[in-house]
Amino acid sequence: MTATALWVRRPAHERVGWLRTVDHKEIGVLYVGMGLVFFALGGIEALVLRAQLATPQARLVDPDVFNQLFTVHGLTMILLAVVPLLVGFANYLVPLMIGAPDVAYPRLNALSFWLSLVGGIVLYFSFVAGGAPNTGWFSYPPLAERAFAPTPGVDYYILGLAVNGAGTIIGAINLAVTILLMRCPGMAISRVPLFVWMTLITAILILGAYPALTAALVMLFVDRQLGGRFFDPAGGGQPVLWQHLFWFFGHPEVYIMVLPAMGMISEVIPVFSRKPIFGYAFVAGSSVAIAFLSFSVWAHHMFAVLGDSENAIFSATSMLIAIPTGVKIFNWIATMVGGRIRLTTAMLFAVGFIAMFVIGGLSGVSLAVVPIDLAVTDSYYVVAHLHYVLFGGTMLGAFAGAYYWFPKMTGRLLDERLGKLHFWLTFAGFNLTFLPMHWLGVVGMPRRVFTYPESTGWGPLNLAATVGAALLAVAMVVFFANVVRSLRSGDIAGDDPWDGFTLEWATTSPPPPGNFAAIPAVTGRRPLWDRKHPERRDQT
Amino acid sequence: MRPPAEAIGDLSLVVGAIALVIFVGVEGALVYAVWRYRDTRGLAGEAARFERNRPLEIAWTAAPALVLAVVFVLMLGTMAEIGGASADPGVRVRVIGHQFWWEFRYGDVVTANELHIPVGTPIDLELTSADVIHSFWVPELGPKRDVVPGATNRLRLLARRPGGYEGQCAEFCGIEHAWMRLRVVAQPHAEFDAWLRAEGSPAAVRGTEGERVFLANICVNCHAARGTEARGSSGPDLTHVGARATLGAGVLPNDVARMRAWLDDPQRHKPGSFMPRVPLEDAELDALAAYMAALR
Amino acid sequence: MIVRLARPPAFATDRTLLGVAVFVASESIFFLAVVLSYIAYRDAGLASAKEHLDIGRTALFSIALFSSSATMALAARGLSRRWLLWTLALGAVFLGGQASEYARLLASGIGPGSALFGTTFFTLTGLHGIHVLGGLVALSALLVAAGRRPAGVRPVAWEAVGMYWHFVDVVWVVVFSVVYLGTLT
Repeated sequence: MTATALWVRRPAHERVGWLRTVDHKEIGVLYVGMGLVFFALGGIEALVLRAQLATPQARLVDPDVFNQLFTVHGLTMILLAVVPLLVGFANYLVPLMIGAPDVAYPRLNALSFWLSLVGGIVLYFSFVAGGAPNTGWFSYPPLAERAFAPTPGVDYYILGLAVNGAGTIIGAINLAVTILLMRCPGMAISRVPLFVWMTLITAILILGAYPALTAALVMLFVDRQLGGRFFDPAGGGQPVLWQHLFWFFGHPEVYIMVLPAMGMISEVIPVFSRKPIFGYAFVAGSSVAIAFLSFSVWAHHMFAVLGDSENAIFSATSMLIAIPTGVKIFNWIATMVGGRIRLTTAMLFAVGFIAMFVIGGLSGVSLAVVPIDLAVTDSYYVVAHLHYVLFGGTMLGAFAGAYYWFPKMTGRLLDERLGKLHFWLTFAGFNLTFLPMHWLGVVGMPRRVFTYPESTGWGPLNLAATVGAALLAVAMVVFFANVVRSLRSGDIAGDDPWDGFTLEWATTSPPPPGNFAAIPAVTGRRPLWDRKHPERRDQT
Repeated sequence: MRPPAEAIGDLSLVVGAIALVIFVGVEGALVYAVWRYRDTRGLAGEAARFERNRPLEIAWTAAPALVLAVVFVLMLGTMAEIGGASADPGVRVRVIGHQFWWEFRYGDVVTANELHIPVGTPIDLELTSADVIHSFWVPELGPKRDVVPGATNRLRLLARRPGGYEGQCAEFCGIEHAWMRLRVVAQPHAEFDAWLRAEGSPAAVRGTEGERVFLANICVNCHAARGTEARGSSGPDLTHVGARATLGAGVLPNDVARMRAWLDDPQRHKPGSFMPRVPLEDAELDALAAYMAALR
Repeated sequence: MIVRLARPPAFATDRTLLGVAVFVASESIFFLAVVLSYIAYRDAGLASAKEHLDIGRTALFSIALFSSSATMALAARGLSRRWLLWTLALGAVFLGGQASEYARLLASGIGPGSALFGTTFFTLTGLHGIHVLGGLVALSALLVAAGRRPAGVRPVAWEAVGMYWHFVDVVWVVVFSVVYLGTLT
């Protein structure tokens, strides 16, 4: 295959266009494309926020515009950028990795993508229809009730999130059933690649968490449109009910965004260390533990509302979740030990993931400690923490995945020199942006403020963060330039440019419709390695 | 009783030290592994094949569990200390959060945005909200606590040294969340008692032109000044507004010139706040600003 | 020792049935959230609930819905359009009962915006009603498809629709217990 082909080449009379595609690879690419577009939008929003905060009492944007932007920034990055990016990779890779011709329900797959996208468009439509939601991504009532948020922004929030969530739920059903029922002969569940394991856990988390959000959205809808009293204290309602429902969704959502990235680096690290993953069962099993625990930690977002005994319980569950997370980190490092590490861009990003996620994990444990949480919750310390997890973790992992699988998806390699520039700019910009925020939070800068007085002394660190954000923006321009350039003139990848272990490298780049010429048969966890080295086959 | 902020500070140092050790250990191991095992010769194939070690796996599952258990026990100690109802509170203050200012009630004495407390005495705050959820936070004095409509939450503070402590609403509460700041003024007992007596007294000046402007306009729909006919309650009590350090919950320092600018157009300084622009003649503005500044 | 099931459940091997099973599991979380919210506000609305709800009448209509589960099982077993029609009819009777209950409550001033009881009652029963309606659409689609091209409809489709219909039924058992029987204490 010599030409670049993002989607499968078809004869002209069959080319109905990808608006009607039901091929899992094309839908995967659509998802990734959607994720990247919204990632860019969310990034631009973040740059405006950072510009406004660079100096004390700046007047770059109105307070209401600022509030709309940070609300939409959060929603965009979480629901419209990160989740579609990860679901896109899962869509593309899962059938290939398990030796299946497609997902379980190809047409439903298209439906989930279009619902996800339409939900995002509905949310963004609010900007030109009376104002975007300005109540934060969490939209706590009573602030989100009509009495305090009379513009239609919150109504677009409800509709957009409900539609987007429906798409995500349907997608999760599809992925779960695909993994459970469509594995090729010999591909026992104890042999599937770890990315597939993490995708399965993620799908289960989506199925358990998103319905709670949908239920909360319905109640808020009843309050706003039908005069309901769910969250109206004057009518006997309890605003805290929303918080329980929202965070019952919101905290598993964090793992929904982290686990697939963990799965990606669990594929990248072994291949570039020339070793099998260390502790496969522990890496997979720790995800199951994380999944269970993640449904029992939601109230750590509410320590400042609840009483001491509830707080102690939720603190304990939140600390527990650090254990399986730590297990993963130790296993990744042990995978590298004794290996022959090729520091490709993909591997650099995977190592960067571990390095940054450790920081986010440690600050996360400190936030599980109730008194410390009460000191720094709702401050920039939390902003720092969550970005170390979701950017330092998830996005670096996703970039590792992008450099690793781009050749499979397009037939061409991403440029390694630009890639390394992209990595180091990201690494520097990211830390310059978010490291100072820990300290800003400790000394008292709350989240979601559009400005702050000079007397606070927060100016210099905020300026540093803004400079970091600009650097980060340059890094992203380098990435997008690399993608565009490599699509046109990147080196031809071949089927298996990295000497890979798993089945996606056993077919052409990009793979044909139906993925494999013949259904593969598998005898171990590294089917392609086994095929290339029959004399040194895996025993498991 | 120690100030809660000190107890939290000590706990943070211990947890921070543990985190630092783990950070250095893990990042060190990571960097070492990458450096030590980097491929310099570009070999393909397989480097090694060890992929499981049960005792090692159990060890690195159990070790973090032990560390966390220690942290958890330490945490319970601190929680008991800062939540403790051990000492009788010296002062009880009812705190009512409003979009976007703070109301403080010492019995019948009502004031806004500036919380005076005696030093060395535990202060019990009873927190509630008139509208949306806010959060009371003075970083140097103690933890934060959410201020929820329809509920009363409690928070205990203690200041060891006299002085001013900056604080602010920590739960996003709407357009002017950034300017819902507050200031705690910790004073020696005698000084605090004197302040409380003065704060409880009626308006210090009567019969001026400024008072006439104040009473003749819509100001009185929202604001009160004890001793006058102004009894509005949805905005800050102005009986001693001239004595406060800032205007608009922190948005401007309080002096006659800024007071005049604020009265002239509050929306210019705090867009979205509920104080509307009241059209007044220049002379009326001068008189009103002078009157407000004199309400000490 | 491996314990062997005499017959593994069909949804363990069939992707349509597994999909519906997973969907139903996810929907259960949704209803769990709404039911728990109803229970959280139960005390605040209990007096209104006691005063305005008509247990006897609703119990009658509930029997219609419960028996529709039996007719659905018969329909799926025999791929019988006649039993499917019965299921459809019983489901419609139930919805009719709900509509008349709504009309009665609205006429006496209880609506989603009237007070906490109305808000929670209409939300919970309304969401269930929408699911029943969805079930009726699925039943009708199956009825039409099975009539037009009997060979083109796999038996598994009958089972899938049945699985969803039973779920809607079970949810009503919970809702009826919490909302109606809950007023008897």
